Parts: sequence; C-alpha cells; structure tokens
Amino acid sequence: MFRFITRRTLGAVVTLLIIAACTFFLFFAVPADPARLACGKVCPPELLEQARHNLGLDQPLFVQFLTWVGGIFLGRDYEGLGYCSAPCLGFSFVNKAPVLDTILDRMPLTISLTLGAAVVFLFFGVATGIVAALKQGKALDKIASVSSLIGASLQIYFIGTLALYFLVYKNHILRQPGYVPFTENPLNWAAGLMLPWVVLAIIFTANYTRMTRSTMVEQLTEDYVRTARAKGMANRSVVMRFALRGTLITIVTILGVDLGTLIGGAIITEQTFGLQGIGQLSIRAVWSSDLPMLMATVLVAAGAIVVFNIIVDVLYAVIDPRVRLS
Amino acid sequence: MSNPFLSVRDLTVDFHTEDGLVHAVDGLSFDVEKGTTLGIVGESGSGKSVTNLTVLGLHNPETTKISGEIHLDGQELIGASRSTMEKLRGNKIAMIFQDPLTALSPYHTIGRQIGEVYRKHTGASKSEARARAVEMLTRVGIPQPKTRVDDYPHQFSGGMRQRAMIAMALVCDPDLLIADEPTTALDVTVQAQILDLLKELQDQTGTSIIMITHDLGVVANTAHNVLVMYAGRAVERGTVKEVLNTPRHPYTWGLLGSMPRLSSSVDIPLKPVRGTPPSLLNVPSGCPFHPRCDYMDLAGPELCKGERPELSPHRGHGDACYLTLAQKREIHK
Amino acid sequence: MRVRKRSAVAVLAIGVLAVTSACAEGNSGAPAASSGSSNGASAAPSAAYKPAVITLGTAEDSKGPAIPPEGVVKGGTVTMIDRDDFSHLDPAQVYVNTEGNFFRLIGRTLTGYKRVAKGEFKLVGDLATDTGTQSDGGKTWKFTLKDGVKWQDGSPITSADVKWSMERTFAPFVTQGPTYIQQWLTDVDYKKAYAGPYDGKELDAIETPDDKTIIYKFKTPHADASYAFAMAGYGIVPKAKDTKEQYDKEPFSSGPYIIKSHVVDKTMDLERNPHWDPATDPIRGAYPDKWHLEFGFEALQVTDRLMADSGADQTAFTFYGSTPPERLQQVLGDANLANRRMNSPSPYGNYYYFNLDRVKDIKIRQAINYAWPSKQIQQVLGGPAAAALPTTILNENTTVGYESYDLFGKKTKPDGDVEKAKELLAQSSNPTPTIVYAYNQTPVQEQVTVAIKSALAKAGINVVAKPLDRKTYYDSIGKLKNEFDMYWGGWGADWPSGSTVLPIIFGPVADGAPNYSHLKDPALTAEMDKITAETDIDAANTAWMALDKKIQETITPLVVAENRIATMLHGSKVGGAEIDPQMWIVQPDTIFVKP
Repeated sequence: MFRFITRRTLGAVVTLLIIAACTFFLFFAVPADPARLACGKVCPPELLEQARHNLGLDQPLFVQFLTWVGGIFLGRDYEGLGYCSAPCLGFSFVNKAPVLDTILDRMPLTISLTLGAAVVFLFFGVATGIVAALKQGKALDKIASVSSLIGASLQIYFIGTLALYFLVYKNHILRQPGYVPFTENPLNWAAGLMLPWVVLAIIFTANYTRMTRSTMVEQLTEDYVRTARAKGMANRSVVMRFALRGTLITIVTILGVDLGTLIGGAIITEQTFGLQGIGQLSIRAVWSSDLPMLMATVLVAAGAIVVFNIIVDVLYAVIDPRVRLS
Repeated sequence: MSNPFLSVRDLTVDFHTEDGLVHAVDGLSFDVEKGTTLGIVGESGSGKSVTNLTVLGLHNPETTKISGEIHLDGQELIGASRSTMEKLRGNKIAMIFQDPLTALSPYHTIGRQIGEVYRKHTGASKSEARARAVEMLTRVGIPQPKTRVDDYPHQFSGGMRQRAMIAMALVCDPDLLIADEPTTALDVTVQAQILDLLKELQDQTGTSIIMITHDLGVVANTAHNVLVMYAGRAVERGTVKEVLNTPRHPYTWGLLGSMPRLSSSVDIPLKPVRGTPPSLLNVPSGCPFHPRCDYMDLAGPELCKGERPELSPHRGHGDACYLTLAQKREIHK
Repeated sequence: MRVRKRSAVAVLAIGVLAVTSACAEGNSGAPAASSGSSNGASAAPSAAYKPAVITLGTAEDSKGPAIPPEGVVKGGTVTMIDRDDFSHLDPAQVYVNTEGNFFRLIGRTLTGYKRVAKGEFKLVGDLATDTGTQSDGGKTWKFTLKDGVKWQDGSPITSADVKWSMERTFAPFVTQGPTYIQQWLTDVDYKKAYAGPYDGKELDAIETPDDKTIIYKFKTPHADASYAFAMAGYGIVPKAKDTKEQYDKEPFSSGPYIIKSHVVDKTMDLERNPHWDPATDPIRGAYPDKWHLEFGFEALQVTDRLMADSGADQTAFTFYGSTPPERLQQVLGDANLANRRMNSPSPYGNYYYFNLDRVKDIKIRQAINYAWPSKQIQQVLGGPAAAALPTTILNENTTVGYESYDLFGKKTKPDGDVEKAKELLAQSSNPTPTIVYAYNQTPVQEQVTVAIKSALAKAGINVVAKPLDRKTYYDSIGKLKNEFDMYWGGWGADWPSGSTVLPIIFGPVADGAPNYSHLKDPALTAEMDKITAETDIDAANTAWMALDKKIQETITPLVVAENRIATMLHGSKVGGAEIDPQMWIVQPDTIFVKP
C-alpha cells in the first residue's frame, strides 16, 4: 500500500508539473502582458521595459518557467514588490502579495463549504438511492427519481437566490451566509455555511441518488448477494454489508470528482452567497487580469482533482481487496 | 412409513415478466428422504433452479405466484414468515451455487463469510466463528486453513472456492443441502473431487442433498434418486438405477443419447435432442415435449397434443408419457 | 502625448467607476429596468433633487471640527459592504473615486471638500489653514499647515512631508494617480524632468521655508490649483515611513483611522488613530469608533441585504453598491425604505458624439439634436427615477457656477421636435441623411438604439445601427478613421471646473484621445487656453459655462446624453449617509451609528 501511494504521489507531481507548464505557457505566452499590469495603466515604454526586466519577462519563456518552478522550492524575490518565500506560486501584482498567502486565506472556507456540503449530499443521496433501489417501481422510488431530476435541473444561482431571499432576507430563518473559522466558533461556522451547504446539496444529491440507485439495483442481482440471502442473512445486512459495498466504488468515484471540482472553486455558489473562497478568487483574478493568481487557482483546482484521484484510488483498494493485490 | 424429510406437492411457480406470465414450475411433486441424494436433471430453463430457490424462499415475492405445498421435516415453507425462512436458510437448508467466483462476496474474507453464517444461526462469538471456519476449511480439504481463512475468494483457485462454498453451506450442519450445478464451472478433475467430497460429507453428517444438474454423469455418481424435469414439469422419476438403466421417457432417452459415455465408441456421434426447449411463456399443450418427440405418431398425436400426461405410477419408477410400456420396450430393442 | 496618456486613464477610470457602481453609464451596459414602468418612478423623490453647490471656503471655514449631521452619535462599529476592495492605498496611486473616497478615512490632503449642508460644499483647507494664496498671476501657490496635525505615531506633519509626498509622485513606480500638478511644476513629460526623491534629488519648484510653509511654483498660471490639491492622489505620505512600492499595502495614517487588519479582497478593519485631532479637521466627522469593511458582494446582494435590514446589517451601508435595475422598482416603490434610500445623478458628462469628419453639416447635427427621443430613452433606462435629462455639456454636479440652458427644446419637447428637425433638414445639404450609429451591444443599448432609430426616422433620418463588442467598444470609437457617424462616450471632471472637461473632450485629435468628435477649431482652442490662463477663478468658471453653450450653438459636436441616477440604501441604524454628488459614492465623513 505504501509503495502504491508513493508511486501515485510521484505521478501526481509529474501531472501537476505538466499542468503548471501548460497554464504557464498559455497565460504568459499568449495575449495579456503581465508587465503592463504590474506597471499600471499609465505606463511609458521605458517603465514597461523596467517592469519586464523586474519580472524576468525579458528572459526566454522556458527560463521564466524554470524560474517560476524554482520559486516553488526556493522562494523568489520580486524586486521592489516584496519577497515571496518558498513555496512561491507567484506574486500577484494586483494584491501586491504572494498568491499563496491569499489562497491559503481562502482555502478554509472552500474546504468547509465542500466537506460540509459533501456530508449532506452523500447522506441524503446514498440514503434515497438505497431506498429507491429497494422499492424499485414503487411510489417511493418514483418520488426519489422525480425529486432527483428536479434537483439536478435546478441551478445554484436560482435556488440559492430564492433561498437567500425567503430564508434569510424575508423570514430571517437562517443567518446571512458567511464564514467564521471552525476553530473560532463551531456553531457560527455551521450556521454561516448552512444555507450554502443545503443549496449545494440539493444540486448534488440528485446525482448520488441516481448513481446509488442504479448501482444498487445491479448489485442486488449479484450472485454473492443471493448467496448472502441463502445464508439466512437479514435483509438489512444483505443490503448494507453486501450490496452497498459494491455500490461504494461508484459513489467514491463520483465523490472524488465532485470534491476535486468543488475544492477547485465552487464559483457560482461562492458568488451567489458572497463567500470569499477559491472560486471567487479565481473569478476576481480573471476580472482583474491577475495572471499569477489565476494560474495559481488553476493549479490549486488541478491539484485538488489530482489529489482526490489518488484518494479515490486508495479507497478503491480499501473497498475492494481485488484491487489491493493486483 | 414415516413422512419423507422434504416433500413437495403440486408446486406451481409463475412469475410476471415484461413479456408476460412465465410458468416456471407446473404441478411438481417430489420427495427427498433423509440422508439420500435426489438428482434433478433437465436442460436450462426446465425449472430446476426455480424450484429450489422456491424451497429456500429466495424468489422475488413481488413478481412470483406460488401454490402447492413444501414440507420440510413436517414444517410448511410456503407462506412461512420472513424471519422463519431466515432462520432456516443457511441453518437447516443450505445451498451451493454454480459459480463460486461470483457467488462468494469479493469484498469479504473466506473466513468471515463462513463465520458469519455460523454466528447468525448459533450466536457464536467472533473468535468461535473463526475457529469454526478453520475447522470447516479443514474438513473440506483446504490446505493451511489457518492462513487461508483470511484470504479473499479471488486468492483461491476455482476448486478451492467451491470447497469453501461447501464449507460455508455445511457450517451449521444443515439437514438439506441444495447443490445447484456445483461442478459446472470447474475442471473435470476438480469436479470429481468436489463430488467425492460431497458424498463423503453426506456419509459423515447424514445430510439430504438435492443435486441440480444437467449432467447425468453427475447424477450417476452421486444420487440415489432422480427427477427429470422438462418445461417446469417432472417427466420421469425413479432411482438412479431405474432411470439410467431403463429410462422410460423419450426426453430421458434423448438426454442419455446426448451424454458421452466412456464405454461407447468415439466414432459414434453424439445425438442431441432435436429442437430447442420450449419457451416457458408459451408451453405447448398436452405433453410439452411433443414438438421435439420422435415417437408422437406411435403414441397418437391427438393424445400427445391434447391432455397433459400424468406422472405414473405415483410411486417408484414413473414417467409422464402416453407410450405404453410395451411400445417403449419395442423402441429400445 | 499628455492628453493621450491622460485620456487612457480617464476612460479607464470611468469604465471602472461605471462598472463598480453597477449603474453603468449609457453604453457600458447593465440591464435596464423594465421599460415604461413608472409606478416606482412616481414614488421616487427624484423631483426634490438639487444639484450640488460648491463654493470656496474661508480660513474660518477651514477650522475644525466638521459640522456634525443631525442627530449624530459617536461610537459603535459601522459595516461597509461592497464588491471590490481598493486597488490602491498609497495616495500617489489613487485616481479612482472609490479609492479616493476611502482615503479620506486614513489620510489627508492640503485642501478638501467640507459638507456645509445637504448638497452644499465648500472647498476648505484640510492640512492647510485655508485654500492657499496665489501670487505671480496664479503661478505661485503658498499654503500654511495647521498646528496640531500629526501622523499616527504622534510626530507632527511638516511641510517637508508634504513636499516629499509630491516629489515621490514623480518616481517610476507611481503610475496611477493624477498628473496635473506634476506637469504644472515641471513639464508635460514630467517624469523626464524629475525622477523622484529617492536618489536624494529634491524638486526645486517646491519650497519649504519653514516647517509650516510650503510654496509651489508652477510654470504656468493655474487659478483652480486649490481644487487640484484636494484630489486624494495628492494625499500625504511621511518620508520617514515611505516604503515605496510596499507603501501601497501598509499606508501610514494621517487621518482619523488606522488600518488594523486587511485581507485583500475580503475584509478590512479600521480603528481610531489616537493622534488625529478633530479640532484640526473641518471635513471628517469620524463618528464611529470602528469600521468593518467587507468585500465580495455583488450590487444585488448588497441591495438585498440592506433591504432586509436584519441583525448586523442594520449598521451596514455601502460606498458604491447601488441598486441594480432588477431591484430598482421594488426599492423605489417601498415606502418603508424611504428614509433609508439615497439617490444622486451621475457627475459624469455623457454624450452622443458626432464624428465631425463624417457629419459635416451643422444643420443635420442640430436637426438630430431636435429630433432626439430623450424621454423614450429615459423610459428604457427605467424612468425619471433612473435617469435625468441634462441639456448642457458640463455636469451640473461638478461645475462651480453652473448655468442651465436648453438649446434644443429638450425640456419643453422631451419626445423630440420632429417639425423643427425637418425644417432644419430642409435647409441642409441632405434632407434625408443616413447616420451610422455605433453602440455597445448590451440589452439596454439595443433598446435605446431602437428608440433612436424610430424617432429619427420620423424626421426623415435613416439610422444604420452598428453594434460593437463591449470589450473593444472604446478602442473602436477611439480610432480616428472610424466608419461611424455617432457614438456614445463619457468623461468625468477631476474637480468642479470646465477646465477638466472642455479642454480634454475638445482637445488634441488623436487615436484613442477623448476628443471623439474630432473637433479641431483653432479659435476654440485659443479661447480655452485663454480661460485656462484666467487668474480669477469666478471669471473662469463663468467663461467655461458660456463656452459650453457657445460650442453647442455654433458647432454642435454632440447630443447631450441622459444621465443615470444612482439609488442606494443604508441600514436602519446608520445615520448621516449621503451620496457625494461629485464622487457619486457615499462619503464616510458624516457616517455615524445609531445606538
């Protein structure tokens, strides 16, 4: 298992480097000029040259990339702007700060948002999926199918705005969404994120219901499930221990993708609820042409997906011994 | 004479499918005596497996309609409560499935799968169950059972998996063991070992066995009595000797003719039963075998296509065919 | 060079302002409120609106403390919610109104605008004892610093600090702030003339005979210099604490508050500067003990939160998060919001420019002015509560000595005077002209264009509409050799004087310059130069106003466009909130928290 994780981690680092290279060349090679941005809106040519030199933009592109990669391990001095200590993912000329500082500041919110919502949608999604699978074709199954279809068709900016209006602004049932660190006050942390969690969960639950249901239906026809019944196992343990175990593979797979995506930035959710997470950060980076920040957020998003892929692979091995030994 | 250990009377199983009503089993009756083996033979789709799943109560109650009686040791199983059935399954009646690779859970160790049946029915502790699993693995001839008990099914060979399956089925000393094609998925050499194992275990425990198979060779080796099924019905019944040596039903003749024999010359081509088994959605009238039967003209087509022939005589060697004994003897010459 | 450079700033600045205030100017495009809905509009108190009056204050007016707003209470924490954080905290880099407005909390300038009453302002001395004394025909300006003005560490603010602050704006890293005074002190290409104080060289044009006195010597006379010194871009920075580029992150306070914590784009907290003395400050009330600023909320969220007025939001307001069109009718129609609602028309000049290279006949240009469907466009924009119909080039809010005139009957016939237009067209070179009208392709502008097209068609003018991409709109209309006859453009005054408007929008003709009409008239240029050189500021202001009318009468280079009105809300426990008519933003000086 240790070797497996090591191998996958090394693979992930290589993947991230390739992604980094791609984003770097895309962002820095193509149209917008980071020097112009660093230089400001009134920028005489000689100043622009100076800014280019300070940023190392007068160097060949691959030298710039190596400098950037070097910055990750060694830190980097941005002349006049400040020192960016290792690991330096770049320096934002808009915020005038190392991008990693800002990302680390926004990360707890995005992680809280993601994990909290995941708990809600996993629980409801899997539970309704199981019920629907067991009550195939019955009223409960149909209700679950229809509501998951409705949930899946809703958009966050639609129900998010509606929920904000009715639950927060109009009837004051829930608090204005906001972020309080968990370590500061767990109750306020949960209260501030409750609405985003629920709204995200409504959208995501549907997929889990659907996937759980269809996989579960399949699993219930498996021979070993029949064997379990033939052994006299109670229905509950047949479903929870045998059929669900096989369903977990599917659930973990989509969960890995969803968590990776959400950590990379729940852009619309954060925007709708005015939450300052990675998603908003990336949107702002786009608006203000903050290339170093944009690149870092892209990397974080890619990194999240890569990391969750590894976690999913490890979980496969935990769930299914056949994977472990092959 | 005491009542038979398992007695099935007039069992009819219909189930609804999208295509219509399937008559899987139609008026089936048979008995299994204590300590004996009944071989149920027939092509796939003849209702063998359905019958036995029904005995275990593993049919889907939503779509299946059952009538008739099943008595196990005097207890009526049709209409028994779910908890009653759960207590019986794996305990008094156990089942061995055809493909041990798919029938064993890939996610749990062999030991756990064996142990949990034991725990469920005896309330034993985890360690007791584990010890029992090791004991059972020893009994079915798994080498190094103490280490193999923690292996997963995919780490076992096919034969070992089936041995483990048998260990799992026998862990609670069941009174009735239903073996559904237990050797079909195995190598020929392994097949023989598994059948020997079953016989040996039966000698030790006195378990009754229902051996479901399409292979008359298996029946010849293991069974005391034979039931030949066709299209959800019994077409011939008798002891192994009776049925294999003096088969009476044209379908049984066909089955025997399609079975390779060591004694027969290699040059003689096998002669399979012509035609295909009927769809259970639409069972032919009268004798369901008549569209495939070579002797319908002899018995009289009106007769064969008209009424369904009864299994007669009611006891001993019986068959469901309009041919007279004399006619059959004539044909066999 | 000068104008092109400045124009780039100004156009961008306006772009930023318009977008940040979500009250997008004519062409940049927020969606309009449903057209023709006037229910909310009639309920709006827009009729009560009076343009700002700005006068020059005396030394007496320059004494602190500030005039308190009615019912003022000291103490408490006020919350400010908006979309964007401030890009710059170093005053030398401040040009955008939002940044300048915020700077009032943490920094001071030589002069500033003091609120005397609602809509009434006086330019007074802030750090200086008065608005300055000019000599040498307006070329030399002398200021005396007040006693008791201090930095946040308690050290006194000296004339050396003020001099240093101006010198450092010449440094290469300063790229964003205003450039007027630098050019007056040296040359148009001021950065070539002087490279800033960091290499030890001083700027001789600024003299500091003692710690309290500072004298600026301009190359040319500038009667309106006291206004220029009020720009936040000329705010002060202490030599001892100057960290060059990094100062933008951690400025040293001379104002009533100190930045206690700042997470970029997220939150900022201010606490009192103990060394700020209200007795020296005629402008800033600084009533709350603490300020909590939150960023990242769209105008819609800001509006919804302030409408809901629940919990902590009762003590919240917004600097520029004005009501977006989709909430406008609701906000205006709700009587409960009446005492928490503010509105103010845009202080910018907005124009439909004629391309004089293509529309050469003044009769046609005047005919179009007569036929212009001002009222219909106003309806498209959301009615009288959402847009005003100005008639002059100079904006009434940002012009000292403003005089209204109505050359083309906009007030009497706001639907357009088709008869008059036809009459003029009949006398013109082409009674049925075709006009290529370029517009920013947004849903609102589509509707506006339809109104223009059908109104002008009635007068016999064929309008060919050319939609332009939003991102490249200004680039397209900024090209001298463009293929359009008319297009929208805007300009914002840097201080309330025609001198920061007319010489720019009718300045040099060049690619990207804000002279979108391509108006090149030596007589006009000479007259503008003459007014700029006028040492009597009142005479200058009168002259600018007269020139405004004369340009429209004799040249008619543009149609004056509609002017957006911003509507904003504040929490029920926030007092003293008013939109600054010049900045078009809620200014912090009078804000207080009700218990």
